[in-house]
Amino acid sequence: MKNPFVDFCAVPCKRREIPLQRIVQARRETMDRMVQGYLQLMDQEVKDLVWLVEQSRVVRAYNTACQSIRDLQYDQDDIEEFCTELHSGHKISYGVSGPSGIFLSALVNQSQEEQVVLRLAEYDRKLHFLGYRLPEGKTLVLQGDAGNFLGVDLSGGRLVAEGSTGNWCGAGMMKGQIMVAQNAGEKTGEWMRDGEIRVDGRIQSLGKNLLGGRIYQRGKLVYPEKPAAEGWEGTDGAAG
Amino acid sequence: MAPLDELLGEIWPRVRRRHIYPELPAPTCGKGCDRVGLDIKGKRISISTEFVTELSRHLDPAVIVEGLLDHAVSHYLYCPWDFSTHLKLYAESKKVLRDKSMAQIATDHFMDVVADTHCVSQKDTPLPRVYRHLHRGRIEEAVHALYQKIWGVDLGVEGHEEISRRLSRLPYLDRSRWKESMGRFARVMQALLQEEEGSGNLNKSSPVMGSHKPQQYSAQEIERGLKQLALDVSTPTEFKEIVNDFKEEIAEATAEVAGLGMGLGAGRSVDADILYYMKLAENYALPIRKRPMKKSGSLYPDHHAPWEVGKPFQDIDPWTSFGKIMPGITQTWERMEGEILGKDEGIPDCIVMIDSSGSMTNPKAQLSHAVLGAACACDAYLRNDAQVAVYNFSNAFAGARWLQPYSRNRREVYRTLCHYFGGGTRLMMEHMATFQTDAVPDIFLISDMQITNLEIVVRYFNECKNRVTAVHIGNNKHVDDFRGSVALRKNVGVYAVERKEDIPRIVLGKVREYLYRN
Repeated sequence: MKNPFVDFCAVPCKRREIPLQRIVQARRETMDRMVQGYLQLMDQEVKDLVWLVEQSRVVRAYNTACQSIRDLQYDQDDIEEFCTELHSGHKISYGVSGPSGIFLSALVNQSQEEQVVLRLAEYDRKLHFLGYRLPEGKTLVLQGDAGNFLGVDLSGGRLVAEGSTGNWCGAGMMKGQIMVAQNAGEKTGEWMRDGEIRVDGRIQSLGKNLLGGRIYQRGKLVYPEKPAAEGWEGTDGAAG
Repeated sequence: MAPLDELLGEIWPRVRRRHIYPELPAPTCGKGCDRVGLDIKGKRISISTEFVTELSRHLDPAVIVEGLLDHAVSHYLYCPWDFSTHLKLYAESKKVLRDKSMAQIATDHFMDVVADTHCVSQKDTPLPRVYRHLHRGRIEEAVHALYQKIWGVDLGVEGHEEISRRLSRLPYLDRSRWKESMGRFARVMQALLQEEEGSGNLNKSSPVMGSHKPQQYSAQEIERGLKQLALDVSTPTEFKEIVNDFKEEIAEATAEVAGLGMGLGAGRSVDADILYYMKLAENYALPIRKRPMKKSGSLYPDHHAPWEVGKPFQDIDPWTSFGKIMPGITQTWERMEGEILGKDEGIPDCIVMIDSSGSMTNPKAQLSHAVLGAACACDAYLRNDAQVAVYNFSNAFAGARWLQPYSRNRREVYRTLCHYFGGGTRLMMEHMATFQTDAVPDIFLISDMQITNLEIVVRYFNECKNRVTAVHIGNNKHVDDFRGSVALRKNVGVYAVERKEDIPRIVLGKVREYLYRN
């Protein structure tokens, strides 16, 4: 009997190895490590399915995040891809806004690039703690609205929010600059020590305990005008 | 140089064989311009003679033709594959770039990158040699710089390091991630596209190999693509935005097949709102219960069986027995008791009553479950060769009503369904009477039941002989009243729709007891 596929025997079907496969594979490995680190953080932080904002927990979460991405080579595109992954839910089946923001902040702070842009407008969920401990020499641009605790403990970096931000913006910031193109929520600048917050829109309320720095609303200085107080021991509930 | 026709005849079998014999008609030579290599219309590839002549100063024409054919076949076999994928990619690109021309150019280039990369990685193709000698604009330079990086070949492009680096990380050969990759591709290209637009060169930025238009697909593929798009988008506005961008091309591509159910044809514009519900409804084929049939009592020949000795001769079918009387060869008719249709045979016509008052969703702004439900019902009756009359109402007393007489014209029927009045809800059952016929049509009502004179509607349903399918959107006190009032009626079926997924559960004409059962 004649082989019906004999005509196809001479058709070359050998795949050529092209550099694209190698590049994509390398990027995938980086992404897998990021996702793995993020899931580890989630396992550690949200065992009770509720994540309460306490300073010790925030510091611990940030340290865990930094630990998990240590020695990882990545760039702005990887961070952007991670954001997409975070919101698409393909590899990350659950996310909590607080720890997610802290993990992203760790990624931004440890990246090689001086300026990182996050396109938040494309995502439905608002992330908290973006720009946490942003160091000197780094600029983080947020395109879209940010959640609560924007630029907490800012350490000299420049944080530009092109949308609005929630409550506790710039809480405990030590130095640097936060610029908000639209509105800021309640307790803006609480326990702020130094640096500058500029809000082009409206500030819902200032923190009651401000220790230093300057806050501008629509170009007008609104702090210092109030008496400063001391101490930041923790905050209530922004569960994720 | 041998004539292009001869060259094509020689090369096409080789290319077909390389791509494992794709189902494509033989390509032709066409008159194009020296800048664009090929065109595809209705799946027929047309190679530009001018382009080949121009490029043949640097390259053997056989190589050029082979490269162009490889490129075209890869589009057909891999990306975009069909119109639905093309639309999906365009939608993603438009989401990022928010401009029709820029989105089209980005989509064209993305599809070229995917198709060509697939071809280069799988086949022994002369494509890189062709690319090396092409004329390039700025956008093409960037894309060719990408090719250099991901194919590992030298195409003689310099610069565009940053863009090619960012583009090179996208998984072009992973079909499941094309949508996401398209978005990122468009984002990386955005600045360059905007610069080209600013300098007035955007119209020269289409791929040299040719741009992609709906005309390259068959009318059936366009139908399927629109159907899929209607399912994929979340609002009619999104659908409208994409379809409007291809309005003229779709109308042109479907002009020859106006009877296909598109509701389009030569000289007729695409009404995206109507098209959205039309295509979405086609995804939900609602079942219709047929009217019961009765046994006729007489026997009629039903099927053949081999004749055996002892069986009567009168049932032998000489035409299938080869003129022989022999057991096992001779065929005999087996008779069955026949079923005949009653006096109202088959699927009756239907009166669709749709509430478009202020409490209902505006179908042009959001997905209206009422319009979708009614569209599905209309589609089901029309598919079964029945006619549909539509009574679209809000405050019918105040004149807010649209009565569409019995028709099989989809476009007219859907236009009436998609009309939105707003305002109060009051029905005039006298209008219904004008639609009643001796054949007793079915009635399909879809409303949130917040009808001021609901008791009159209930009384009408309780007295009529029609099969009534009542669908309520959401739940409220009026729905409970309605359900309670018709609970005892056996000719009324009531369904609730709160989500799109509830619609397939509707069975049209399903009643607990048929009124005319013998």
